Amino acid sequence: MEYSIDHHADAIIVRVEGRVDESSWEAFGAALSEAIGQARDAGIGDLVIDLASLDYMSSRGLRALTVAKRQADGEEIRIWLASPNEVMREILAISRYDKLFTITETVEVKR
Amino acid sequence: MLVRFWGTRGSLPVAPTAGTIRRKIAEALVAANGKSFADADEAERFITAELGFAQGATYGGATPCVELEAGGSYFICDMGSGLRPFGLDSIRRNGEGHRKTYNFFLSHLHWDHIMGFPFFAPAFDPTATIRIHSAHPDAEDALRRQQEEISFPVPFDWLRADIEFIQLDPGEPYEIDGVRVETARQQHSHVSYGYRFTDRDGRTAVYSTDSEHKPDNMEDEAAFIDFFRQADLVICDTMYSLADSVSMKEDWGHSSNLVAIDLCHEAQAKSLALFHHEPTYEDKDIQRMHEESIRYEELTRNGPPLEVICAYDGLEVRV
Repeated sequence: MEYSIDHHADAIIVRVEGRVDESSWEAFGAALSEAIGQARDAGIGDLVIDLASLDYMSSRGLRALTVAKRQADGEEIRIWLASPNEVMREILAISRYDKLFTITETVEVKR
Repeated sequence: MLVRFWGTRGSLPVAPTAGTIRRKIAEALVAANGKSFADADEAERFITAELGFAQGATYGGATPCVELEAGGSYFICDMGSGLRPFGLDSIRRNGEGHRKTYNFFLSHLHWDHIMGFPFFAPAFDPTATIRIHSAHPDAEDALRRQQEEISFPVPFDWLRADIEFIQLDPGEPYEIDGVRVETARQQHSHVSYGYRFTDRDGRTAVYSTDSEHKPDNMEDEAAFIDFFRQADLVICDTMYSLADSVSMKEDWGHSSNLVAIDLCHEAQAKSLALFHHEPTYEDKDIQRMHEESIRYEELTRNGPPLEVICAYDGLEVRV
């Protein structure tokens, strides 16, 4: 798994590439925590996780999202999941995580 | 090793209503579309071939009780309401010469996992031997308490079988009537324990129910991967969706189908039986959960395929 964190005017974008599974969930969780910290420090209220280049995420990755959401909620930062591929859409539906997170088609989010 | 499921539902026993049965019959008649059948056997072949499991059968509603045919004596995991039909069936087998020794292994002492024992007919047989294995030191207290007069009309002391309580230490291997048994601590209210059974042929079945895998304890899952390692069959608590297990059902002590599949993938287990079904789920809900689990396994497979089966009352799995 590779990732990058970019600052936009109104959101922090975390781009994730590859797979989030048993070998990479810890790095993924650390990246999200880092991004939440950056959003907090910059006074930005939206964190967008760009899934366009993500192959899939196992339950480890999904639960890392939950840990990140709890941290983000404490900082009043909203997490969005953007541009999931067809596999991720299925996984989000099967896990019912599409009920826990807002899924958007692009990284441009509007509250 | 043959694994036989006598009870697969969590929390409390359930049964389909008259309306549910009528609906199944109506849908089956519609599916038959005017076809005639020579006899009941032909009709059953049609059901097997043309109807889904939820439509043509039922996952059942008895609470946990799983039997392993792994040696000369009986091996039973938990004493849910499914223990009653097992007990009656064992009496039939005893009449055919089966040894009357019952080795029980308790995951924990919550009522859905012990409620069948007051109805366990062999417990009244003075020639039967009952060994109740548990890592809990208070297993006997729990069983005696549920048969106190305020709760049940037949006191524990009226049971005539030779009953022995044996405490197990987690992490220690035991040889019991030709089967190697190991137990591992799990996260659940008042703690629960999983069991790993290996027979003389090296066939392994793992019973891991009522075990919560929380998002902030994922680094502890290495112990479960080791406990499940290369098992022929892993029976797992898959009561909730992953989303429910981390939100409204967090700390309820149960797990999800996705976590069970991921653990089994990492452990290179061969088969997973989805178990401890949510009591509010109808058969179609459980079937949907099973189909989604099969799909998730396909999407995330990174090695040999894991067979995902869905436990139901009456299922037999040979490993």
